[in-house]
Amino acid sequence: MNPLFSFQLRRVARNRQYLIFTVVLPALFTIFFTKIFGGMASGPVEYQRQAALYMVSMMAYGGLGAALGATIRISFDRASGWLRQLRVTPVPQTQVLAVDVAVGALLTLPSLVVVALVGRFVNDVQLGLGQWLALVGVLWAGAITFVALGILLGLALDERAAGGAMGFVGVVLATLGGLWAPVEVFPDSLRTLAHAMPSYWYAQLGRDVAAGAVPSGTAVVVLAGFTAVFALLAVGVARHRPLHAVAG
Amino acid sequence: MTTAPALDIAGLTVRYGDTVAVDGLDLTVPAGQTVALLGPNGAGKSTTVNAVLGLLRPDAGSIRVLGRTPLDAIRAGGVGAMLQHGGLPSEARVGEVVDLVRRSFPTAWPLDDLVATAGIEGLLARPVDALSGGQRQRVLLALALAGEPPLLLLDEPTSAMDVEGRRAFWTTMRGLAGRGHTVVFATHHLEEADAVADRVVVVAGGRLVADGSAAQLKAGGATRRISFTAGPDRDLDALPAVRSSSRQGSTVTLTTADVESTLRALLADGAPLPDLEVRGASLEDAVLTLTSSATTIGARS
Repeated sequence: MNPLFSFQLRRVARNRQYLIFTVVLPALFTIFFTKIFGGMASGPVEYQRQAALYMVSMMAYGGLGAALGATIRISFDRASGWLRQLRVTPVPQTQVLAVDVAVGALLTLPSLVVVALVGRFVNDVQLGLGQWLALVGVLWAGAITFVALGILLGLALDERAAGGAMGFVGVVLATLGGLWAPVEVFPDSLRTLAHAMPSYWYAQLGRDVAAGAVPSGTAVVVLAGFTAVFALLAVGVARHRPLHAVAG
Repeated sequence: MTTAPALDIAGLTVRYGDTVAVDGLDLTVPAGQTVALLGPNGAGKSTTVNAVLGLLRPDAGSIRVLGRTPLDAIRAGGVGAMLQHGGLPSEARVGEVVDLVRRSFPTAWPLDDLVATAGIEGLLARPVDALSGGQRQRVLLALALAGEPPLLLLDEPTSAMDVEGRRAFWTTMRGLAGRGHTVVFATHHLEEADAVADRVVVVAGGRLVADGSAAQLKAGGATRRISFTAGPDRDLDALPAVRSSSRQGSTVTLTTADVESTLRALLADGAPLPDLEVRGASLEDAVLTLTSSATTIGARS
């Protein structure tokens, strides 16, 4: 394994807060929401629909939170001077960035898998094996949008703002994207706003798979568009403020 | 690569907006030399170091490091650096950081020896966030040394150290020079330059104002120091040849370019001169003379 990759992975994994917010919390919410809304279901079919919906929403919440949390921390490494220090070692700058992307992508997996396991074994969500794999797969792939957003924020924000953004951005995306309460219960204006959120389309990938369909082309295109915009903005910010700059 | 100088800077100019931080600096450092970049804060030392490391783009001039561009030299593992604003990663242990950096170089300094040389015994298992200022500085030195690079660039390496730590560090630096490393370090401690460097390059206002051994600089400044006790009402402004004067309590110290004419003038006004002493100037006096006068005094070797 690439030494920088395992080094970075160990650092994030050491952070208990990170594990609690990206794995434990989404798993607990999955149980909580399913007990409330599943309990109001009119029958087993409706229960399955509700339980699957909340599981997918919480997988999306955990996935995007993990992707953001793993990447926004770039800001801390800029502020501490560590990225500057790395810059004067033979480690190439492209590798530093690639490792951050890879770590962000890999760390979304635990929350996706744990919430899926909770959905299956605690909430009794019934899906075919292929569907389970596809569900985790599409949400894992879709998390790249939030890896790109996290890197953009990590480059653009100073240390203090980044610390706040880690929790805040995830919660805003989850709320407005209909991950807490489904957009079906949103008033029209908020629903329009939800449709402008990458988080809505991210969860849509999972909802489509859970419903036995192929992810909608619209969701894929919208997410690809967001990813491209975030990545371009990140490149723009990086030009003005190289990875290794301490501040300003 | 053995024939190329460790560092070759020609006409380096760096501007920050309207401020010229480095102004046409030329400096060639042959392999194996220990060079102090000496100057007050804002002299352009750090800017020069950062430009040599490719951390900023010069507005003019060329920089060759070990015969290559700065970036290529760093990628090839030829350079180890201790930055003024370098840092250590949070949520990591010292040993992990040292290991990561050692593995990034083509040849790694043997760990036991590296730990002893940098003075980080007992720190490897410690979380980075639990280090004291001086310990951090030594860990950063270990990172600079990790790949046994031929060229070491140290930007005010002892700034966070106490006197004892500083002296231990000088011993380390002299040891590095003894192993054949080229060491270029920025400092504003004259004592440090005097104790460690074969060659002292004085920088002021982004220009090189003097370049030579510490002894040559002291001679090149050609000043002497006169001190005596005098009351606060004594007028010392009109004395000839005086380059600088200072007063500590009732002790007046003058540096002069011509000790004889200054003394004559002092004696001529008839006032007593208790505790009179005349000494050769220190390196500090020489540098003060050099950096306060705008002219370039050549004491080139």
